[in-house]
Amino acid sequence: MIQCLFLLSDAGDVILEKQWMGKRVERSICSWFWRQRSEMEDQDPPSVIASPTHYLLHIVREGVTFLACTASEMPPLLGIEFLCKVASVLENYLGGLNEDILKDNFVIVYEILDEMMDSGFPSTTEPSVLKEIIAPPNLVSRVLSVVTGTSSSLNAASPLATSSQVSWRASNVKHSNNEIYFDLVEEMDAVFNRDGFVVKCEAYGEIQATSRLSGMPELSLTFANADILHDVNFHPCVRYRAWEADQMLSFIPPDGAFKLMSYRVKGLKNPPLFVRPQLSSGEGICRVNVLVGLRGDPGKPVDAIIVQLPWPPSVVSTNLSPSVGTVTYSFSTKVSTWIIGRIPKDKSPCLSGTLQLEPGINRLEEFPTFLVGFKIQGTAVSGLKVDKMDIRNVEYRPYKGFRAVTRAASYEIRT
Amino acid sequence: MNADSGHRKGEIAELKSQLRQLAGSRAPGVEEVKRELYKKVISYMTIGIDVSSLFSEMVMCSATSDLVVKKMCYLYVGNYAKVHPDLALLTINFLQRDCQDDDPMIRGLALRSLCSLRVMNFVEYLVGSLRKGLKDNNGYVRQVAAMGVLKLYHIAPTACIENDFVATLKSMLSQDPDAQVVANCLCALEEILVLERTNSDRANKDREMLHSKQIVFSLLNRIKDFSEWAQCLVLDMVSKYIPVDPNETFDIMNLLEDRLQHSNSAVVLATIKVFLQLTISMADVHQQVYERIKAPLLTLISSGSPELSYAVLSHLHLLVMRAPILFSSDYKHFYCRYSDPSYVKKLKIEMLTAVASESNMYEIVTELSEYAANVDVGITREAIRAVGKIALNLCDVNAIVDRLLQFLEMERDYVTAETLVLVKDLVRKYPEWSHDCIAVVGNVSSKSIQEPKAKAALIWMLGEYSHDMLDAPYVLESFVDNWLEEDSPEVRLELLTAAAKIFFKRPPESQKLLGAALAAAVDDPDQDVHDKGLFYYRLLQQGVQTAESIVNPPKKAVSDFADIQNSEMRDRIFDEFNSLSVIYREPSYMFLDKEHRKLYEFSDEAAPTDVLPTQKLDANDNDLLLGAFDKEESQSGVSNGDDGPLSAPRSPSPTLLGDSVPPVSASNIPAAFGIDDLLGLNISTPPPPPPSLVLSSKPVLDSGTFQKKWSQLPVALSFEHPISAQSLKTTQPLLRHMQEKSVQCMASGGQSPTFKFFFFAQKADGMPGTGFFLVECLVHTSAGKASVKVKSEDSTFTAAFSDLFKSALSSFII
Repeated sequence: MIQCLFLLSDAGDVILEKQWMGKRVERSICSWFWRQRSEMEDQDPPSVIASPTHYLLHIVREGVTFLACTASEMPPLLGIEFLCKVASVLENYLGGLNEDILKDNFVIVYEILDEMMDSGFPSTTEPSVLKEIIAPPNLVSRVLSVVTGTSSSLNAASPLATSSQVSWRASNVKHSNNEIYFDLVEEMDAVFNRDGFVVKCEAYGEIQATSRLSGMPELSLTFANADILHDVNFHPCVRYRAWEADQMLSFIPPDGAFKLMSYRVKGLKNPPLFVRPQLSSGEGICRVNVLVGLRGDPGKPVDAIIVQLPWPPSVVSTNLSPSVGTVTYSFSTKVSTWIIGRIPKDKSPCLSGTLQLEPGINRLEEFPTFLVGFKIQGTAVSGLKVDKMDIRNVEYRPYKGFRAVTRAASYEIRT
Repeated sequence: MNADSGHRKGEIAELKSQLRQLAGSRAPGVEEVKRELYKKVISYMTIGIDVSSLFSEMVMCSATSDLVVKKMCYLYVGNYAKVHPDLALLTINFLQRDCQDDDPMIRGLALRSLCSLRVMNFVEYLVGSLRKGLKDNNGYVRQVAAMGVLKLYHIAPTACIENDFVATLKSMLSQDPDAQVVANCLCALEEILVLERTNSDRANKDREMLHSKQIVFSLLNRIKDFSEWAQCLVLDMVSKYIPVDPNETFDIMNLLEDRLQHSNSAVVLATIKVFLQLTISMADVHQQVYERIKAPLLTLISSGSPELSYAVLSHLHLLVMRAPILFSSDYKHFYCRYSDPSYVKKLKIEMLTAVASESNMYEIVTELSEYAANVDVGITREAIRAVGKIALNLCDVNAIVDRLLQFLEMERDYVTAETLVLVKDLVRKYPEWSHDCIAVVGNVSSKSIQEPKAKAALIWMLGEYSHDMLDAPYVLESFVDNWLEEDSPEVRLELLTAAAKIFFKRPPESQKLLGAALAAAVDDPDQDVHDKGLFYYRLLQQGVQTAESIVNPPKKAVSDFADIQNSEMRDRIFDEFNSLSVIYREPSYMFLDKEHRKLYEFSDEAAPTDVLPTQKLDANDNDLLLGAFDKEESQSGVSNGDDGPLSAPRSPSPTLLGDSVPPVSASNIPAAFGIDDLLGLNISTPPPPPPSLVLSSKPVLDSGTFQKKWSQLPVALSFEHPISAQSLKTTQPLLRHMQEKSVQCMASGGQSPTFKFFFFAQKADGMPGTGFFLVECLVHTSAGKASVKVKSEDSTFTAAFSDLFKSALSSFII
């Protein structure tokens, strides 16, 4: 099982360590780990590697490396999922994640880590339950402690006295305004080859919910077209039987923000954007011409269109001008970034110009891949629609909010 | 630096006096000050400064009602108690008091800290507090107490057993209303009973009980009450359960099917493991299980973070290797994303290779060709290799050959290099394509190739297909002219062979070439090249035709290239689905199993199983967690510093003739190294025993069974036998040698001058799992002898096997 956790800064320094077992793991393991990284030219090594003494599992979030050590066999995903959970709980608690924030709040970080794992096995990781045991370092509680003079971060009645029927929710939740929000977020992966054909197109969706409801609400949510969902994953609160029988999400929500479900949509035919690149090189110069346009009508406007053009190392400089938007070039990363925004009605965006190649190189030998970003507010690209949402077992009538957004995740254009 | 540490010392002294003043003070606001001071101490501790000198002051101030201060105090004490066991006694008092607190939170925290101190003297205090904790009316405290039992076991196993905590945990397992308490009991019990297994029968019985139908189903029925992590525990336990009949299997699968939809991938993987294990002997259902688990796994790889998808991909890889056809329509899931880290890309490329079939081959090869133009050189190479592998695995290689040849036209050095190696393998398997390939290879400029492997491949093709390439002799000639600049012995060996082959085909053009190559080879500083040169020279003395029949006999097309991992090994990994060994593609016994280790480690050089001291880290970087075989290799890397007799500098022999035929100077050849020896024959040894005993070429035996058999069987025969192993530096050469004689190595270890081996072999015609011969072999290199103990399952063949083994030892030459 997991023996200890190190949080490392982006320079490889130990920000803090937490040991869960009697046998301590020395910090020197961190320098070993960091050496591996530098040997790989600062690329992140695989998430599970073996050091001479331990297995090391790690993830990187916001520049902070979460490094766990174990000397015994264990399910690797248990370790990695746990690290992901630690990262998200800390981020949630501290309102961000970086070296300074962690250092400013190390006492709370210790408290959290102490509750999240015991004897190397994960225990309480549900944020809403943790928050009852350990108060978040927010302004309110700070003000409160000054005003009331109580220095304890716990409320007098220990929350543990009121154990709940469902492990993800306390029984005594109270809100003055009862509300629940659902965000339907879909991310699209697509790959186009140099002839403009779709090589691969898929969407991955999540329903993120934020619940501020009092009591023990029973919710049910149905979709107008649940059959398009290919493979679904649920938050533990969702009752699978109801889904299987009626394609209905039936659940008692945790308090606060959580991921209700995630799914995959296969066989999407219509990626909303096309990008047509033309590159021709010779005599040390590469001519570039890139067209961007809509492929059919996604129903809502496509916003925040951005095209990243990472050039091969042999490119020395660029001279590109867009017909719409702005283009910037970073010398250090050799990436041109073309910010288009929304496509105007009267003009189709076009980027043209030349690349100067290194002396001695006649033509571009590598074929760059362009990356496209965009956002479509108000619609899910899969067409998934919420039919209705009911709430039972409570007296009040809460405010219900729904939103949908589609984003490009890995939208690649090969040249 | 000094000033800095001096400054720090001052600060710590300052903290010390401040803490002293606070101790016992009840002034208003004192808690706030305490909190700040504690914070400072903890922050020093966090950045790695030793503040253990404050121990007594910290304990003196520990009387507080502030929970955060308490927690910091527990943290501090937990960190330094081991260093100050005497002072730690001071903390017992306040921890025990806190264990009685009204607030369950404080009771729990105090009990957890008490258990985490891990000081032997505390055991008696611990037992009492734990017993109370297990009966506490609050779930949180019972959770902590259940884990506390495990901690107690690690400090003092006997105390834990004698106080009958196992029985308490057992009863809580089936009775406690709090699911998390049950989970913790399960966690503690599993670990204690596994460790206790060897000591007592009772633990074995308890363990059986733990995996009994009643317990398994009682946990399964309430699985939804458990947290996601506890579910993993329960699922792991279920995977060890053997159902009595198929109905039970289906019951379990029905209960668990929705777990495949869980958002936590650890739960999904644990469920999959249960499904695979339950159905392993039900072929039809097993196949359906594959179908069922496919979608959740594919979703995990496309939706999770790269770290997660790497781990999932490793598991998918295992399944793909077992059932490639199952995934052949999902190949697009393994297309690389631009943003994937290269370790994920590599794995995906491997998957694409594995799932390639007649139906999707065109798309996959097209996709891989895209990666060949990638900016990342590592990925480019992997992609080209993958295209080659697909070509070697499938029959319809028409389109692929074109693709590979296009790579050669890309004129990027490493692409060319990688491709040449593949084209070489390709023409070995598909001689019918050689004409097309050679035409293109002929256009490759030999100047642009730097990598030894690629050079060797090109030279091999030049030698093999010299009749198709007009300028082959001249290209080879330029290579031979630059003999001294060629760093790699591999290339020089290949060059020598190519020169000989071309000589057999086109003697007039290449006689001079061969002469120059032989002369250069005999003078070569590398032993192998030198020996080969000499060998060829003597063969040629026997006549050109004799030489040709040995150097370049007619070849058959290669039908199958050796698979790196045999299927038996894969099956074993498969049993370990959802474990780290899947990611390593090595069964975990190779690196984790202590029992296995004991087998091959000598006590005096036993590798530390715990934390290594820092300074040892470097030397052992590649070591320890690696498998036994890898280990040998890395050891040899370390011990190469001192020169053995083999690599001792040879006297430079004066070359008398600069002409085509070099003289054979006696000083050049060690007496023992006759041509016969070069051929691997040893005339002095008796011929192998009559064919009554034939050994299986691929015996299957795992380490556990080996150990069991070894402990059960009596020694059938023991003898000493001479072995010429004076210069044996690692176990590897002997191990390989014995393998050729169908004697497999189970484990090996040791350092010059003593090595220890455990070998095994199996009768070829016997039933599977029977007819094993087990051998312990101690090799004393300096004395030149081996002490051998043979155990045999079939005593009629013991003598025959021993003779075989002896002759194998005699023929060993290093």
